[in-house]
Amino acid sequence: MSDGRYRALGKRLGRLRESIARTGRIARWEVTASAGTVDRKTAVALVVLVLAAGTAGLSVADEGLGLEREIYVVGVAEDSQYHDVAVESEQFRPVPLEDVVAESGDGNADTVALREDATVDVVVTRDGRIAHDGPNGEAAYDEFRSAVETYNANLMDRESDQAAAYPVLVSLEYRDRDLEGTTAGGTSGDGDGTADGSSGDGSGTSGGNNNGGDEPATGEDGGDEVGDGGSDDRLQVPNVGGSGASSAPGTPGSIAPPFPFDSLVLAFLFVVPMNFVIQAYGSTIMDERLNRRGELLLVSPASSREIVAGKTLPYLLALVGIVVAIAVGIDGSPLAVAAAVPIALLFLAASFTGAMFARSFKELTFVTVTISVFLTTYTFIPAIFTDVNPIALISPLTLIVMDIQGESVRFGEYLFSTGPFYLSAAVLFLLGVGVYREEDMFAQKPIPAKVLDAVANRLRGRRSVALLSVLFIPFVFAGQLLSVALLFAVPEVVAVPAVVVAAAAIEELAKSIGVYAGFARSRFDATAKTAVVLGAFSGTGFFLGEKVTHVVQFVGLPDLPVGTAAFGPAVSSDPLLLAVVFLAPLALHVVTAIISAVGASRGRTGYAVGFLAATLVHVAYNLGVLTLVA
Amino acid sequence: MAILDVTDLRKEYGGFVAVEGSSFDIERGEVFGVVGPNGAGKTTTLKMLAGLIEPTAGTAVVAGHTPGEREMARRLGFLPEESPLYEEMTAVGYLEFFADLYDVPADVATERIHDSLDRLDLEHRERRIGNMSKGMQRKVAIARALVNDPDVLIFDEPASGLDPLTTNYIIDFTRELSDEGKTIVFSAHNLFHVESICDRLIIMNDGRIVARGTLEAIREAHGGTEYHVYATVDGSDGPADADSPVEVTEENGQYRHVVADMAAVEAVREAVEAGGGRVTDIQTKTPSLEEIFLEVAGEPAETET
Repeated sequence: MSDGRYRALGKRLGRLRESIARTGRIARWEVTASAGTVDRKTAVALVVLVLAAGTAGLSVADEGLGLEREIYVVGVAEDSQYHDVAVESEQFRPVPLEDVVAESGDGNADTVALREDATVDVVVTRDGRIAHDGPNGEAAYDEFRSAVETYNANLMDRESDQAAAYPVLVSLEYRDRDLEGTTAGGTSGDGDGTADGSSGDGSGTSGGNNNGGDEPATGEDGGDEVGDGGSDDRLQVPNVGGSGASSAPGTPGSIAPPFPFDSLVLAFLFVVPMNFVIQAYGSTIMDERLNRRGELLLVSPASSREIVAGKTLPYLLALVGIVVAIAVGIDGSPLAVAAAVPIALLFLAASFTGAMFARSFKELTFVTVTISVFLTTYTFIPAIFTDVNPIALISPLTLIVMDIQGESVRFGEYLFSTGPFYLSAAVLFLLGVGVYREEDMFAQKPIPAKVLDAVANRLRGRRSVALLSVLFIPFVFAGQLLSVALLFAVPEVVAVPAVVVAAAAIEELAKSIGVYAGFARSRFDATAKTAVVLGAFSGTGFFLGEKVTHVVQFVGLPDLPVGTAAFGPAVSSDPLLLAVVFLAPLALHVVTAIISAVGASRGRTGYAVGFLAATLVHVAYNLGVLTLVA
Repeated sequence: MAILDVTDLRKEYGGFVAVEGSSFDIERGEVFGVVGPNGAGKTTTLKMLAGLIEPTAGTAVVAGHTPGEREMARRLGFLPEESPLYEEMTAVGYLEFFADLYDVPADVATERIHDSLDRLDLEHRERRIGNMSKGMQRKVAIARALVNDPDVLIFDEPASGLDPLTTNYIIDFTRELSDEGKTIVFSAHNLFHVESICDRLIIMNDGRIVARGTLEAIREAHGGTEYHVYATVDGSDGPADADSPVEVTEENGQYRHVVADMAAVEAVREAVEAGGGRVTDIQTKTPSLEEIFLEVAGEPAETET
């Protein structure tokens, strides 16, 4: 390397060092200034609140909510075989039978009589009959029956001779439904005890604990053998026995979708503090905008990027600190931190952009609440399906759940989950920094107008619309994934068309918003020729960016019908088909982008019409592809 | 050599033109006034010079740098019309933060901050800014503009909304800064202040410069000196020169003749005496900047002087 290059590199490094130093100074000041706004009492109250919330969260995760603990009282003799049932069940509190029955009776069913002052819901007579009393008696009776079943199942689990405990085993295999929304082999129990491609059958039960009236099994072998529960494929074979119950084969009645309650609560702990931190962060950004307080920083040697980085850094570091503390608290691995950080980044980025767009603290409150609800929903809901379906991987929270459950996460899965979060955060910061200047910061414009300003500020000539389309890909990806997640449980006959329309509309919006902003802010001449050129650039850029979304192939999401509707079918190995599959989207994106762009050149109404037309063309294309290829 | 050079500066917001074709230059050490009615484009012009607003067209060079460049920012002190301070900080803490941001060494900053605050007579320096009076806050804002020892100071309405005592204090302080060699761009609604400290000025209206130059030159161009000749009879027939018209008003038997030069004064005197009357008084009238301002504020076109 020549001396000149060394000098140039040295200068660049020097500038970088200065930039980092300035960022650090602003960050330090931000901490000082923010600390000045909180008095000592409030600080103590906040610490207590955080500690209480953390303790409660960890406690819930550790012990459950305990809402049903000892809600029923059962009168049962200590030497009764049902006494252990009541002791093991957390819903029941056993009381001695003699304390609740009248002295005249012997405790048997034909003579038992309750005392007038007895407050029991269920009574087990000495001869083993179960009765109920009072307004809660019926519900308590049903629960006691369930408790007996669970008790028996647990005894069976501990049985060393599992073949004796479960003489008949039923293998369950969950199968995909077809696009017509019908199932091929029946969906409910048919009594044959076989698996024929349907969901769990209702019969083929093991003996001993099938329904009410059975007595608790007796004797304990203390064995710890458990059945294997099926294959290792967590996507096909769910847990049997419901949450918190046996991991061994169980009764068909106890089959329930696996719900990783404990892990989910622990994972959710990571998201809770983010909702609080963004309130403070949004306020500090808003503070700069109100009364022009940020004007003097703008005229200083610090650039907008340095100011934003400096003001963001303390909040990001605080969130990272909280995330690490939670990870340590729940024995999570670094993966939990690596999965939580992009969520924190997106929370901050969305709050920053929202605070740059809001006109008042009232609007900011609306914005931050919207962000809280949306991002919490986006991260939490998919994570519920962690043990069921790959759709769960659209949320980084799923990675945390997997980490807590001791499951390994592939790098591709990490990228798939966190990539949209990192990229969306980067784009949001980019848009926000674009309007972090005097002319936009202090202007009182409606939020949509500010969004257009932010987008238009990133336009540097016609070709830049292509870059904008690429930048919006993360939002498209996230939006489409969310539509898939939201419509996942809806019948496919409704979900698939809805996802097709939503996916098309999201893509058309991403392709056209930059062009519309350019026309609306007079960055381009509003002529049809310019619109065609811009549309072509935007469509081509989007096509190239869209290829990035093929990362979904890594996790097999297109195997889902709704996934196919959103992202298209998996690419064929046929060269001709391959060429069509690649070139057809290019043509589609260019044509629809041109339609929107021509509309956008005619003003707001024209844009709405153009956007609608482009979406319809896109929907027709998607349906055609689904019909022909899928 | 000009330390600040502006050429054809233009700023347009959508279809609205805030500043159109502004050109002027400012010499080192000069106090340069920018006056005009509300919405004339003064603040927009100053903010373009400070690098806060990007011009739609035209160029500005401040201390050898384009506005917005980091090096220019180091050499500029900007005092906006309001005092948008961080109210939760103390005055000293606030100034130290900005000194740090301008890469001023800590020991130099401490000395400079306390020197500025001494000169501005600001007490209670460790008090939170939010608990200070408006005048004290303004002094803190001025001290902030000086924390980097800038070559060029842009003061936009430095005494806006302050009581007369504080206002005079700040005007005197501005004059001191000028005496120390600072170049100051000064905007104010109070034209008396502009008149008292500015070497040159521009008057803006509807985004355009409508008058410029030294105060004397502007006076010359917009009204100049008038002579009021009071007499017992009408002597307006005296001056025959059409370029020196005589404006006569009569009140309580006294005739006031307003003329533009001494020759016309002499002609009026002769005509009065010829008419059997006598001149009772002759006064010289110089228009104030305010009067000139009111006169040119409605002028759409620039007047070169």
